[in-house]
Amino acid sequence: MIRLSWLWPRGDRRLMVLYALLVLYSLALLWSVTEPLTGAYSEMRVDVPKSVFWRQLMWICISWAAIGVVSRVPLRYLENISWPAYLGVVLLLAVVLLIGPEVAGSRRWLALGPMRLQPSEFGKVALVVLLATWLGRRVEVGSRVGATLGSMVLAMAPAVLVLREPDLGTSLVFLAIWLGMIFWYGISGLLLLTALSSSISAVIMFYSESILEQPWPWAVYLLVLMAVLYLVRGGILASGLMLGANIAAGLGIPLVWTRLQPYQQDRIITFFDPSRDEHGTAYQAIQSKVAIGSGGLFGTHYLQGTQKGLAFLPERHSDFVFSVAGEELGLLGAGTMLVLFLLLVMSAVRVAMEVRRPFASLLAIGVASYFTFHVVVNVSITTGLLPVTGLPLPLISYGGSSMLASSLMVGLLANLSVHRYDD
Amino acid sequence: MDFRQAQAVRGRIFRLLALLLFGILLTNLLVLTIAQHDYYSARALKNRQVQFRVPAPRGRITDRDGIPLADNTFHSDITVAASQFRDGEPDSVLSQLIRWFDLPRDETLADLQAQVARHGGRGRAVLVRGADMRQLTTVEERQSRLPGVRVESRWRRRYLHGPLFTHVIGYTGEVGPDDLRDAVPGMDYRVGDYLGKQGVERAFEMDLRGGTGMKLEEVNATGRIVGRESVWIRNVRPGRDVALTLSLPLQTAMDTLMAGRRGCGVALAVPSGEVLAAVSLPSFDANLMTGAISADQWRALSEDPAKPFFNRLVQATYPPGSLYKAVTSLAGLSLGVVDTGSVLEPCPGGYQFGNRWFKCWKHSGHGVLDHAGALAHSCDVFYYQLGLRLQLGDLAEAAAGFGLGQQITGLYPGEAAGNVPTDEWYDRRDGPRGWTRGVMLNNAIGQGAILVTPLQMAFLSARLAAGGRVPGPTFVLGEEPALDQVNLPYRPSHMDWIRRALRQVVDEGTGGAARLAGVAVAGKTGTAQNPHGDDHAWFMCYAPAQTPEVAVAVILENAGHGGAEAAPVAGAWLHEYFAWRHGVSVTAEGDGP
Repeated sequence: MIRLSWLWPRGDRRLMVLYALLVLYSLALLWSVTEPLTGAYSEMRVDVPKSVFWRQLMWICISWAAIGVVSRVPLRYLENISWPAYLGVVLLLAVVLLIGPEVAGSRRWLALGPMRLQPSEFGKVALVVLLATWLGRRVEVGSRVGATLGSMVLAMAPAVLVLREPDLGTSLVFLAIWLGMIFWYGISGLLLLTALSSSISAVIMFYSESILEQPWPWAVYLLVLMAVLYLVRGGILASGLMLGANIAAGLGIPLVWTRLQPYQQDRIITFFDPSRDEHGTAYQAIQSKVAIGSGGLFGTHYLQGTQKGLAFLPERHSDFVFSVAGEELGLLGAGTMLVLFLLLVMSAVRVAMEVRRPFASLLAIGVASYFTFHVVVNVSITTGLLPVTGLPLPLISYGGSSMLASSLMVGLLANLSVHRYDD
Repeated sequence: MDFRQAQAVRGRIFRLLALLLFGILLTNLLVLTIAQHDYYSARALKNRQVQFRVPAPRGRITDRDGIPLADNTFHSDITVAASQFRDGEPDSVLSQLIRWFDLPRDETLADLQAQVARHGGRGRAVLVRGADMRQLTTVEERQSRLPGVRVESRWRRRYLHGPLFTHVIGYTGEVGPDDLRDAVPGMDYRVGDYLGKQGVERAFEMDLRGGTGMKLEEVNATGRIVGRESVWIRNVRPGRDVALTLSLPLQTAMDTLMAGRRGCGVALAVPSGEVLAAVSLPSFDANLMTGAISADQWRALSEDPAKPFFNRLVQATYPPGSLYKAVTSLAGLSLGVVDTGSVLEPCPGGYQFGNRWFKCWKHSGHGVLDHAGALAHSCDVFYYQLGLRLQLGDLAEAAAGFGLGQQITGLYPGEAAGNVPTDEWYDRRDGPRGWTRGVMLNNAIGQGAILVTPLQMAFLSARLAAGGRVPGPTFVLGEEPALDQVNLPYRPSHMDWIRRALRQVVDEGTGGAARLAGVAVAGKTGTAQNPHGDDHAWFMCYAPAQTPEVAVAVILENAGHGGAEAAPVAGAWLHEYFAWRHGVSVTAEGDGP
């Protein structure tokens, strides 16, 4: 029997207060973004229509109800639907590539009547649930390396499909979720070292390709690596694996670089040299920093930001909404938002540490990884620490799919907080 | 270590990592909002605050009664920032615009580079001049994706009567590199500005231009003014209107009467010296010069054998022919070598001087004529004899009193002075022994080396009518004339005599075609010998003969005899003039004289 009270979230009060504060923050920012600048000509059109605010409000209501439902679903039931959900989303991701409408050069959405659905957002939820199920059953059973590689394949499948949309930022989210959860599961030391040293190879080759255009630093690094492996008497198999991975990573970078879309290459190059294309690729990053920097300690006052109000700030309702907080509410406002997110992540980690069942623990850490990666990368982009790639700020940026997906994550957490001591 | 124990360790690591990452974010936020706050505040201000030059509307040019002849229209340019094509490479926005508008890429970039090079590589350059609606909408609709691109509006000159006033008013053109270099300090010309290039537009540039205003405006990302925080740094001072001395109906009448012909018609008010009409044909539409002229149009105009660019009013010089006989007579009278009633040797159709026979234009001869009759019938033989009683210096002195051999307006830097030969001039040209007194015969009848402009002949006519109190001709009301009033050294009785004689020219002599019913006209016909082709037809006159108020000179190139060709034009124009003076609306199709 369906009861109306199911639509009210069950679980940790503090978590739901955090959630409520964040979505209210989102509404406040979107209201500001859709308001005309005070004192401007009345016939000046606001580029972001008011409907953005109302739609966000509608999605928040839907999400609230969804949390109510998700927070009550029995955990076993979640485990049971993890495979069908995952396979369903992977199928949708494939369908998007085939029949999704092309918007600004990429296919990310499925049109459902008046609504646009972004399957990749729900893919993140599905992946978290599936990895929790899959890895949870392999805790203290079977080979660690097998679990590691197997879970990687599970994460790679949606990541590769999303990369082809193309949507680099979102596809990296899948890898981040996997990284966080495999760390929680217990990655093998050998694989960890292999991954670490390979990424050093990749970074060296990236700089050699784009900046030094010569392979010497990488060659020196490989020699040093071989010397270290010889000195510590690493086994033939382990040494071979590490060297192989390093060479693959080093040679892979130029390969990946040439496969990147020209606009992605542009963004990466301008990230290192923003003055190169001040009005083009680097424009967003520069304007975002100007917005945040000009906000100062207290901000320019709510509704009064000129970077926002005069449309210098691009994507101010979606990927760059954090800059609006920085401009109008200053360090205090933007810092408060970061602290709210940090508390959300911390409470997820606490749930992960407290619950007994490995499935629940892994699920909580998946949610923590999701929020950590999303917030850190989005804020790093808006403050110029990372090159621009499209990635929304969860619970804050405008977008139904993103709002619903990140709310589902919170709902999962609420659910776990109730089943903390279940075995 | 089982999973539960490991959870505690890994939880601490995860928390530490999260704290570290969020710490980095907060620290970076601290740097941006506190340490670099001033820098970014300044950038935000620079983003939205733009200094706008507000060009003053150029003063209008009207006729003497305030009827507008040149006014302004507003048009929109699409401009881009210099930073958008650094090192000759367009940024993504500019390359997109070039594609959308189908502009020739290399030429466009070279043009943009050249524009900003004049300002030291900074500032803005005009991508599309006078953009059409399609281009404007393209930019306006996509402005949020076109940072740095702006639509700027400017005044552009409009000449309401096309070619009618071109040689008087001149035209405006876009500021060129030379203009920027030579510009008067404080005039603040920029690429894309217009300035007067010829005629009144050029001479009265300082009045017409006005003062460019300077204003700080808040703009949005698309460069559109949002209407907050607008601060005037310097107010716009609109250009001063300039009223010509010319009259639109009188100019139209002259133009219509001369339609299809090559030459000049000038009319001066007497004694003010104000130019009432000044037509030089062929002319060209001054609107073509304000930026829209195509290469083909330009070639057609500049290669036209009729030379429409040539301002015949002041640049063309012709021998004055018999018009000059009035000057010769006055020179003779004032020196006493001839009297008003003198009768010289009769005219048999020519005159023997040395071994050469100088023909009279009337081959059958005029027979016996007194001085007045000789002027009225333009007898060359009489003036050959008079010339032989004079020195070149005497003639030159008389000519100078009528503005000949000098620039008589301050309006045209390229004005021709003409030529009034003296002994020294012939010495220079032919050597001291290279010429004989035979040149006196030619000089006396206004042929040979003596050259005048049509404007000078109108001025001659005006000073014959009203004496030296006529100042140099002016084209603009209130303009300082280039020549002052003078006292002509002629006895009143001599001036009275020559005026009677000139009236006789029209009443019973060669100028009969200029006769008017009810108004006495005094004038002189002339036929300027042209070594390159048919003779030019001259006529000068003034009216009313008793109380002169207007003086006219007409020359029709290669038209033949002045009495037959030029005099009717002058007469018909005078008819229109008196209709205008008496409040009758002037039409070119009136009942002729």
